[in-house]
Amino acid sequence: MSGKAKKQVKKRVTFSDDNTIVRQSHRKKNIGHEHPPVYVRKSLLTIPFHLIVLLYLYIYHSDYSTELLLLGLIPSQVFYLVLQFNKCTVYGNKIIKINYPLVFISLGGALLLSVPTLIIIILFGAPFLEHIKESWLLASHCCFLAYPAMYSVFNCDFKVGMWKRYYVMIVLGGWLSCVVIPLDWDRPWQAWPIPVVIGSYLGAFVGYTLGSYI
Amino acid sequence: MLKRLTLLLTLQTLALFLFATGFFPQKTVIKGDSQFQINATLQSQTRPTFNKLVLIVIDALRSDFLFDSQKSHFHFVHSQLNKGTAWGFTAYSNPPTVTLPRLKGITTGSTPNFLDAILNVAEDDISSTLEDQDSLIKQFYMQGKNLKFFGDDTWLKLFPHHWFSEFEGTNSFFVSDFEIVDKNVTRHLPEQLAANDADVLILHYLGLDHIGHKDGASSKFMKHKHLEMDEIIKMIYESTQYSNEYDDNTLMVVMGDHGMNEVGNHGGSSAGETSAGMVFLSEKLAKYSTPQEQMNFEVPLLPNLNEEGQNNFQYLNSIQQVDLVPTLATLFGLPIPKNSVGVIIPEFLQMLDPQIISTKIKENYNQLLQLSKKSANEYEYNFDSDLDVNQEILQNEMKNIQNELTKTATNYNYNLLIIGYSILVISTLFTSLLIWKDYSKKNIFQLIPITVISIMLGVSTFSSSFVEEEHQIWWWITTGFITVSLVSTLTLQNGFSPLKTILYHLIIFGCARILRGWSNSGQKYIYDHVLSNVLKSHTNIQWYLNLLTILIIGFQKDSTSNFFKFTITFFLSVLCFIYKVNWAIVNNENVPDWFYASTYEACSILIGPTATTFQDSLIPMANLFLKAIVTTIIGRIIYSKIFIGKNNKDSLLIPDIVKYIKLLLIFETSSTKISQFLIFEIINHIWPKLLNLVKDTSDNDIANSIELSLIPLISLILQNFTFFQFGGTNSIATIDISNAYHGISENYNIYQVGLFMTISNFAPSIYWTIITWPTLYNSTSITNKNSKWIIFASNKLPILFFNCIVGCCLLASCYILRYHLFIWSVFSPKLCYFLGWNLFMNSIVGYIVEGLIVALA
Repeated sequence: MSGKAKKQVKKRVTFSDDNTIVRQSHRKKNIGHEHPPVYVRKSLLTIPFHLIVLLYLYIYHSDYSTELLLLGLIPSQVFYLVLQFNKCTVYGNKIIKINYPLVFISLGGALLLSVPTLIIIILFGAPFLEHIKESWLLASHCCFLAYPAMYSVFNCDFKVGMWKRYYVMIVLGGWLSCVVIPLDWDRPWQAWPIPVVIGSYLGAFVGYTLGSYI
Repeated sequence: MLKRLTLLLTLQTLALFLFATGFFPQKTVIKGDSQFQINATLQSQTRPTFNKLVLIVIDALRSDFLFDSQKSHFHFVHSQLNKGTAWGFTAYSNPPTVTLPRLKGITTGSTPNFLDAILNVAEDDISSTLEDQDSLIKQFYMQGKNLKFFGDDTWLKLFPHHWFSEFEGTNSFFVSDFEIVDKNVTRHLPEQLAANDADVLILHYLGLDHIGHKDGASSKFMKHKHLEMDEIIKMIYESTQYSNEYDDNTLMVVMGDHGMNEVGNHGGSSAGETSAGMVFLSEKLAKYSTPQEQMNFEVPLLPNLNEEGQNNFQYLNSIQQVDLVPTLATLFGLPIPKNSVGVIIPEFLQMLDPQIISTKIKENYNQLLQLSKKSANEYEYNFDSDLDVNQEILQNEMKNIQNELTKTATNYNYNLLIIGYSILVISTLFTSLLIWKDYSKKNIFQLIPITVISIMLGVSTFSSSFVEEEHQIWWWITTGFITVSLVSTLTLQNGFSPLKTILYHLIIFGCARILRGWSNSGQKYIYDHVLSNVLKSHTNIQWYLNLLTILIIGFQKDSTSNFFKFTITFFLSVLCFIYKVNWAIVNNENVPDWFYASTYEACSILIGPTATTFQDSLIPMANLFLKAIVTTIIGRIIYSKIFIGKNNKDSLLIPDIVKYIKLLLIFETSSTKISQFLIFEIINHIWPKLLNLVKDTSDNDIANSIELSLIPLISLILQNFTFFQFGGTNSIATIDISNAYHGISENYNIYQVGLFMTISNFAPSIYWTIITWPTLYNSTSITNKNSKWIIFASNKLPILFFNCIVGCCLLASCYILRYHLFIWSVFSPKLCYFLGWNLFMNSIVGYIVEGLIVALA
């Protein structure tokens, strides 16, 4: 079929960092590195303990208030990024300094990205017209969970390859947690979107902890 | 490999059948007819409270239809309830809530056997007769009472015709008719009431149930039906109660045999399905104190809501439906039938002769004890020492025995269970060995997805929620599969544009999401805004989409190339569409305005001017379509054998036949679901492209093996996913019979109806089976003479493997959970569905039909 014609062209545009045509960046110091190594140091510092604390508060002290959880998540993720995660990110053999304007731009970016994420969540089977607010909250949670990784994508000149695993782990956590929804236990935490929120937190926890080992 | 595969499939089917026969045995019943046991002479000499009975069974009369202030239009019944001349109850009807087992319950007082639910569909079966079993009807007959019956012919299957001095049966399976079926009962009434010679008059009305099946519990036709039924009750009441001759010796009972859920189906165990209404009417009742609950309220009542704000359908006093049996027996001075698990409704005890009350209670208690095969010593209460029985204690004791008896209704045949299970385990081991050998030749990693899915599904059969909500699992697998496919094609980087890959995956994902939003499935979540409801209220969009679907399926590019073929396809598509419109009009569905005239015109052209109404042309039209499609398929095969010959491959044969089968599937689909096939076509258009991407970028052998392992996997996932999104579940209640009667007149053939019912319920799954044929057996994939059978076998192997694993788990779960509360309402129906999938989808469609096609190609 039409695939035959394409074979000759062999265009190679991928999301992997190996063969990416590097965008010219504003950072002069990186010019000259054809494959600047991007990685996260293997360190206990990357463990996002605050996620577990937040989950504990969410489950035992807030009556599963997803809004409150989001309010807690945003600042703690910023601190996590500045104090922990960024200190372990190595790009071009250097631990890059925190770029404060970008920290806030990424916050806005995460907020904006919650809309496409909402669409993806609906594609994955969230109710279409009902519970749109809950679905959006879930989307925002996912986006802000991905926020440190997202900042790093921006900060490392869009080398997506390394950071994909963080998104995948969040999605995987959320996807696996759907299992409890159909059970007939009639527990309050089975209501939409609580299980998926918890699942994506756990996914993010595992992701950020083990991201550098995968 | 083909021979081994056939052997394994046969073994597996045999194993399932052995297990099922052991699991669904006929219940052991106590033979013989009961006699009075305690103070027999006193009992038989006491004058019965009533001596005439009018039993009006209104099929699927849910409790709220009788008592609810918003739903009920039984105004006469309400006024009698308020006067005290009628006593109302909510009667718990034991699942399976379908007519045949319920009638057995109402007459013999016994708890139903799960097999009865299946026999309810296979109506010709004679094993369900109650001639030898003790029943209320038999007791009446043996007392020399004059019995008459009019209504649902299920009664006439249960009881010998000579017991009734007059009878007429109406057919319960023409679901789309809800006028004539009841008029055929009512027309006997004036004559019967005038003659007034029947001691027991039984009427069974089906119309209300038909409305439910057709249009749901809150159908616009309900009000009219309520009023009609109310009018009939009033007529009978006035004629029997106010005539001087018989005064107040006639008892009228109005009852539903079961309820219905909101969609109008029944068979399961939800509150709506098990809560039937029951009302006793007689002038005599006014002399006694009315039941507690009824005294304090004015009927009609407001609904009782449970914690979740849903109606729990409990109005007035709640009783067991089987309690009717000892109550009537007592009131009419008959011995209580031997297998009855009922307890006399306490409110009626006051109507008995005072000196016989305690005897009657003891009699009931004694009879229950004999049934439970336990001695009285095992219970706390021993009445022999006590002349004046403590009514309350004994009543409670009887309720306990009743509970126990209803729980342990069946005995299992353990030998058959063990033999069946062992055969299945053996065939599973061999299948695993076979598939392991087959895949280790290609690439062992391709075995992972099917193994994971099989084990997941297998484990899920141990949880009642996952069985009820199986559609969620398949949706979950579908989303996971698409995502994995997207990620893996992106990372494979075989030199095709990632944008295109993402786009294709997004389209498929979107289509799947639309399918998911099409209809409700499962028990837990019911959404109002599902697409089928939206389409129902937007008639024009629905029918133009249906038209588009039929056109797109009929006119794909290969059918426009040849004029002769084009004419045939055009004729078939038009015929199919006109029939669907015609059927919709006859069933009071809305269609775009201009369809009426043109359909009428088209019908009169196609079948001649003899048919003057839409109703008349329905059956000839359906027959015309069915004949046309069969002729076309046979003709197409003969054409390919004779004119094309053996040397040239007829590469269009399979696509053509697939297209004709698709039209047949649309013919068997309800109008709100036809446009799902449009979505199917889109998915079906896209995924071969993705497959081609993989094929183009790797060398031939690898591509072939990837294709051969992916196609059965995709087909399996989509078969199940679409089956559930089409409205299917694992509950008997959602078996859709509205499409089973196309082209079938009154003297129907049970096998034809059964076949159509199966096709219509499995339509989407059949689609995703046949759709793989053109890709699998095209001229490029078949290289040498034997190869097509190798393809056939390697396509069937993963599905057999899946069924073996799931089967092993399911049978184990049915066995382990055989005393579980939900065994009859959840696990047993699942076992039946599993049998259906195996027998129909895998053996008949997947093996015999596909094998025939492959042999011919």
